[in-house]
Amino acid sequence: MNLAVWRAQWLTALRRRRLLAFNILIPLVFVATIALSPAPDVHAAATFTVLFALFGTFGSSIPLIRDGESGLLRRYVLTGVHPGGLLLQHIFATATLDLIQLAPSVLVIVVAKGSSAPQAAMVLPALALGLVAANALGALTAALAKSVAEGALFSAMAALLLLHWAGTFRTPVPGTWQATLEAWNPFRPLHESLLAAAGAGGPDLDPVLLAIPMGVTVAVLLVIAAAGRYAIGLGGR
Amino acid sequence: MFAATDISYTYSSGRKGLGKVSVDGAPGDRVVVMGPNGSGKSTLLRLVSTELPSRPGSLTLFGEACESSMGDFRKRRDLRRRIGIVQDTPIHVEDLTGLENGLLFAELYGLPRAEALSAFSALSTSLGLDDALDVPTREYSYGMKKKLLIAEALVHDPEMLILDEPALGLDPPTRVALLRMLEERSERGVCTLVATNEPELAKKLATTVVLLHEGEVVAHGSPAELLAKVGGATRIEVHVTGSPPADLGLPADIVSIQLRPGRIIAESRSGPDVLPQLVGAVLATGLKIERIELREPDLTDVFMLYTGQALNPEALNRPLEGDSSP
Repeated sequence: MNLAVWRAQWLTALRRRRLLAFNILIPLVFVATIALSPAPDVHAAATFTVLFALFGTFGSSIPLIRDGESGLLRRYVLTGVHPGGLLLQHIFATATLDLIQLAPSVLVIVVAKGSSAPQAAMVLPALALGLVAANALGALTAALAKSVAEGALFSAMAALLLLHWAGTFRTPVPGTWQATLEAWNPFRPLHESLLAAAGAGGPDLDPVLLAIPMGVTVAVLLVIAAAGRYAIGLGGR
Repeated sequence: MFAATDISYTYSSGRKGLGKVSVDGAPGDRVVVMGPNGSGKSTLLRLVSTELPSRPGSLTLFGEACESSMGDFRKRRDLRRRIGIVQDTPIHVEDLTGLENGLLFAELYGLPRAEALSAFSALSTSLGLDDALDVPTREYSYGMKKKLLIAEALVHDPEMLILDEPALGLDPPTRVALLRMLEERSERGVCTLVATNEPELAKKLATTVVLLHEGEVVAHGSPAELLAKVGGATRIEVHVTGSPPADLGLPADIVSIQLRPGRIIAESRSGPDVLPQLVGAVLATGLKIERIELREPDLTDVFMLYTGQALNPEALNRPLEGDSSP
């Protein structure tokens, strides 16, 4: 498989050292401020979940919109590269970069909240899944947006809505249709793992709970792979 | 190599981009499309490059109907990999160096890295980019970006080239190098479709010239055939102080003359040989001559002949509103 776009994303990120530093430091300062404050753990966990999800969604949609506006994506597609494959490379490259940039923030949460080893260990896969889902969501909103401002708006609204359906902003009630929806939501493991790591009394996350949201994320990625050529702006060509 | 038949395009605003244009090119052909801004040159190139769909009309590339290939990824990929494209605006990954951009596009075209490096190095040397290959393209000038774009379009040795204003922004040595590269490829059977507003470039490069006006073809043929239509008259502009009188005595070889305040525009079939007589006639009226300009007929005159409008108003000293066709 041709991974040229993946490599270009990494090289670009490594070249933008100032941005890289900001992307590490800004969430770190934000997370540390909350984690070390007397804010209730449940609120802190919700805030961390929102921050991480928006970090992924914005980080995916804005570069895609910018590259679409400049004509770079059209140039890529006219070389014969598969548009869906191009989007997947973009999603996985930015999600991996996000994970690396957010890792120090996660470490601060774990240390500041005194999380147990199993709790801490669950945050990483849940964050990885949440970031892939967030970046995929960013790619989808980028396909609908006609400007960076629209992209930011659509990304924020879509992410917040999905976070709400993940049970981030309320106490889940077992047996309801919302609870079923939550079980499918790729952001739910992220929120649950952060709740547990923050010491909010949430249960230690059973790795099996990752399976369904992971399946949903894979399904979304397959849709993006198949429909990528409609998203990039060559009218499906 | 390619055959576009009655291809059309209407923008989402409803503006006609192209209306039933037919154009084709065989291996080795260099088809140059000329026309003023907004005439549909870039739209035609974008249609032939498969970037835009033509509805109605049909496009055949390398002997295959294009629309049927577009639905199948492998066919689409294989078809696009046989084309090299230079867009009018050079777009790159700005944080990557010239070399990294070159290798990125070579890899996207499916070239193995070693082959890509060798081909791209040779092209960047020919285009005079060697010294800038380690520099991020955000620091490139427009001309350097254009050179890089050309190298990227040629790196996979495509069978067909689609170039939108390829010489725009290039320095004279690079223009010469570009022409040489295109001619060499043409001799090897590469078909080239170029959009330009530069009559000199078109004359040097084209085997066929297509003149577009308001989205339609107004003339096509070899440069020699088209230039023959304007009869080879040399255009002489005599800039004078004051307005020339209507009864200016004309030398016999002057085939047409326009008298404007401060300017006399004559067309001569005997080239500049008529100049002494013309100057004598002007001085005899008591006018003072400020300067004289001579211009051999070129493809802008052919365009003027067919449309009554200037192909590239900036290229002329002054637009000639109200000029009648010869």
